[in-house]
Parts: sequence; structure tokens; C-alpha cells
Amino acid sequence: MHRFFLFTSIPFLLVILFAWLTESLRQQPIELIPTLSGKSEYCLTCHSDLPEISASHPMEVFGCVLCHGGERLALDADLAHASMRGGKNPSDLAVVEQSCGGSDCHSGSSQAERDHIQRVMTSIQATYTGAITNILFTFGEQSDLLPRFGALTVQDTSLPSKTGIRSLEAFNPSQHINPIIQQFAQNCLTCHISAKAREGADFHRQTGCAACHSPASQSPYNTSLDDKPKHTLSNAIPYNQCNTCHNRGNYDLRLMEFVERADQPATRLENYYQPIAQFTLCEYTLDCIDCHTAVEVMGDGDIHATQKDIQYVQCRTCHGTLAELPLTKTLLDADDRAFRLALLNPMMDLAIGDTILITENGEPLWNTRVLPGGSYELYGKATGQRLVFRPVMGSGCKQNEWEQDSQSCHTCHALER
Amino acid sequence: MQSIPRRDFLRISNQIILSLAGLLGMGALVRFLGYQSQHTITKEFDLGSANDYPSGSRTVLADIPALLNHDTQGFAAFSLICPHLGCTVESISEGFECPCHGSQFDRTGTVSRGPATMNLRPLRVVENDAGHLILYTE
Repeated sequence: MHRFFLFTSIPFLLVILFAWLTESLRQQPIELIPTLSGKSEYCLTCHSDLPEISASHPMEVFGCVLCHGGERLALDADLAHASMRGGKNPSDLAVVEQSCGGSDCHSGSSQAERDHIQRVMTSIQATYTGAITNILFTFGEQSDLLPRFGALTVQDTSLPSKTGIRSLEAFNPSQHINPIIQQFAQNCLTCHISAKAREGADFHRQTGCAACHSPASQSPYNTSLDDKPKHTLSNAIPYNQCNTCHNRGNYDLRLMEFVERADQPATRLENYYQPIAQFTLCEYTLDCIDCHTAVEVMGDGDIHATQKDIQYVQCRTCHGTLAELPLTKTLLDADDRAFRLALLNPMMDLAIGDTILITENGEPLWNTRVLPGGSYELYGKATGQRLVFRPVMGSGCKQNEWEQDSQSCHTCHALER
Repeated sequence: MQSIPRRDFLRISNQIILSLAGLLGMGALVRFLGYQSQHTITKEFDLGSANDYPSGSRTVLADIPALLNHDTQGFAAFSLICPHLGCTVESISEGFECPCHGSQFDRTGTVSRGPATMNLRPLRVVENDAGHLILYTE
């Protein structure tokens, strides 16, 4: 009888020892209770090595689950990741409203300037409607150039609309039998930010907000892009992130194919633009975002027909004309939008009383300042590089006042490639 | 050396093994029952003696985080958590600034720059019978 009990209790002890040992060896969860949710999450158990995504999104305030979704208490990787939004990219346009929305975050009112998502969803970057409309018109699939289709269905619910375009239907290539339209759909729809980028390191970018704000390389001088997604959100976007879509080649409209540029750029000038034109010093010294504003890139909430309808910054925005100095604004209110933008990308110390340049639409060029001698300074948003420049007025420029597009200025100021 | 009868050896071994298993099992049970998945959030803080905060003092209580102000009207406190999204504001010469999105507040906690639209939240502070200041965050 005693022998029976002993042989029964030994396996019993072994089972308990095994369970105890297994439990002791298991990685102890690292708990985080973000201020915003007040709920425990164990994501840091495996992801404690990830850098904080940005100063505006501190981990102890946002945690991980608020943006990424997922099962906050799961310690098994598959279970924890099963309900994540957008995979590794919660800013994908399909899920951005759930991930980044909210009235205090990026889906609030335009008055509070928190309508980023609405603006981006209706922007040319997302709709790609200019290209779609032009192709449909050129190949006889529609009789005019009125925008009807976009890469995704969008509605402009805000009033008033400056463009009068209230909605776009999602472009559905299967509704067109013309093979050239099929070719277009197959080869040419990778440039909008809800689409996956083309294959290849030069094209690497994510979708949604991360297409621009998670630059693959922080260095504007680094021409090789790392194709691993970065856990970063930045307003210091170097030109080579823009170049993952722009200046990478041309569309051959006869074959409806994208032809990658074949040159081997060795300098920034060569890398910045395709070898098809000539450009001025500032165009290839600065980064795209040093001249082009947030509204031009992210939209203004209205649906625009083409890129040209929203892009309005010209050389004269900063340099003025022979007859007029560029528009300026003296910052007197601590609540001025310029200060908020400067805080998110602190390349220069902006102070009350500073006079900065503004665009004709009133957008603050917060990285500029009027200097006492009548010249201006600009700090590169991605580089921090300080550049001093002069207005056209008072110079030897002979430019006609009505010819202010960049091509006109290139006549004298461009460097031949 | 006196030999133990086989029967006794088996009995003692069995008792030892069962005791060990029982202890381990009890330990596991205690650990299981004592597990807390959510930490309790402290809402009441003993700030120590009121005498430690002389009139005219402004004390940043970083662990809460809050600011305790002692002026001629008595003790008052407000939270240093930004009402916009919950980051902890930092002291600047004009008052406080949120490092996350740049909201600013004057020395009284009144919002002076967005995106925050509300003031820093006032907190209740009372002096108990023992002369200690008790701060309530809710």
C-alpha cells in the first residue's frame, strides 16, 4: 500500500515541479499603464527596445494599444498581434481614423486645426484623381476633365468647398474594357498613399501618414533608403522620402508603364531631380518641405482636381517680385500657429515679435525670419541648415511681374544638369 | 547504524514528497489568488506637514504630478497633467508648457496657448487633524 502511494506521489510532485519551473522560467510581463487609457498593457514585454515614436506621442501617455490596437494583456505574439490595426502601420488610410483619429488628436475640427485625417483623405496624395481623370479622358473613357474617380471613395463634408467637388467614387478598373486602362491600373496606381509602393529600396515607403512622416532615412544626404519600417514619426522629412514617389522615373503613356530613371546620381543635385531639367540652387539645396507647405502636401479639406490646383508656392512666396516684397507677419500672439508648428520641429527659436514670411494663403513659413537688414533667413526643416537670402526687389532682376512660375526664374538662375 | 524498516522508509518518503507537493501547490495557489492584473491608482496623497510648505511657496510635486501653491489665501493645488492629451507639463518662466504639443499655461494654470482648450485641473487639498496636507486627485 505504501509503495502504491509513493509511486503515485512522485509523479504528482514532478508535475507540480515542472509547472512551477515552467512558470518561473517564463518571461515576466512588463506592464505599462498609459495615462490616456489607464489600462494595463504588456506590449513592452517584447518591444521594450523600440524607440519612442515621437516627442508628441510619449509612450507613458499613449502606450501602444491606443494607436496600434492588439490584445493588450496577451503574452503570446500571435494572439497579441491578431487584432492590430494596419499590421505594422496603424496610419494606413483604411484604419487611420481608428488609430489616429479623435477630436483631440488628428480628426478634430478645422478651427482647432486638428482635421489632419479629413484633409489627407481628400488630398491629391490620397485620391490621385488628377492622374485618373486625365487617363480616362485621354483614352476616351470620359468626355471631359471633370474629376469623378479617385483611388478611394471620398466625400467633402465640410462647407464651403472652394473647388465645388463634393465627392469622388473609387476608381474601379474592372468597369473599363480598354486594355490601356487596365495597364494603367496595374502599373500606375502605386503613387498614392493608400497604395503599397513599388518594389525596390528607392521606392520604399509605408502607406497613410507614415508614407511621409516615418521617413526611411533621417538623413537627406543618405541616398540609400533602409527598407525596414522605422518606429518614428517626424516632421523633419528629408527630400529623399518625397523622392520615394517623386522623381523616380516617368510614365510611358504609350505602353502605360513606369520607366525607372536609369541615371546614377552622385550628388544631391543629381539625386534630387530626374535629369530632365535645370534647377536653382535653393531647389536642390533645400528639402521639399522647406518650400512646400503642409496644406499643399496634405490638402486643405477640399477635393482638388489636380496637383496644380493645390500647389501654389512659387519663388516669389519667399523672394517677392520687383514690385513687391514677400508677405510677412509679425508674431504677437503666443497662440499663433507658427509657434505650434515650430515646436513640433524645433529647428529655430521663434519668439514673440519675430517677423516671419507667410504665403499668399496666410500659411506661416515658420522656419523663416526677416532680418534687420531686409534680408531673410531660413532654417532647413530636415537639416537645420541656415540660409540667408534676399528679396528680388532692389536687385538687378529683370523679370516680368506676371511671369512668376519657376520656369521663368530658371531662365537666369538655374544650374544646368 | 540502525537500519530503517522498508515499510517506514516508504511511509516517510511518501510523507516528505506529499508535503513538498502540498507546499508547492499552496504557494502556487497563494500566488494565483494574490495576482493583481491592474495596479490600484492612488488618488490620495499625504504631502507631509503643512509647515513644510511656507507661505509664498510653490512646490512641484513631480510624483503626482501637481503644483502646490501656498499664498495668503491658503493652500491650493492644480494638476500638472495637460488637459489636451495627458502629458506632464514642464515649468517655464511664464508658467508651464506641455512638451508633447506645446500647450502653455500661466502660473495659475490658465491656458494661454493651444492645442489645450482647458486650464490645468484644480485639485482639492486639505489639512487633516495631524497637520498634514492631503491632496486628492479626484
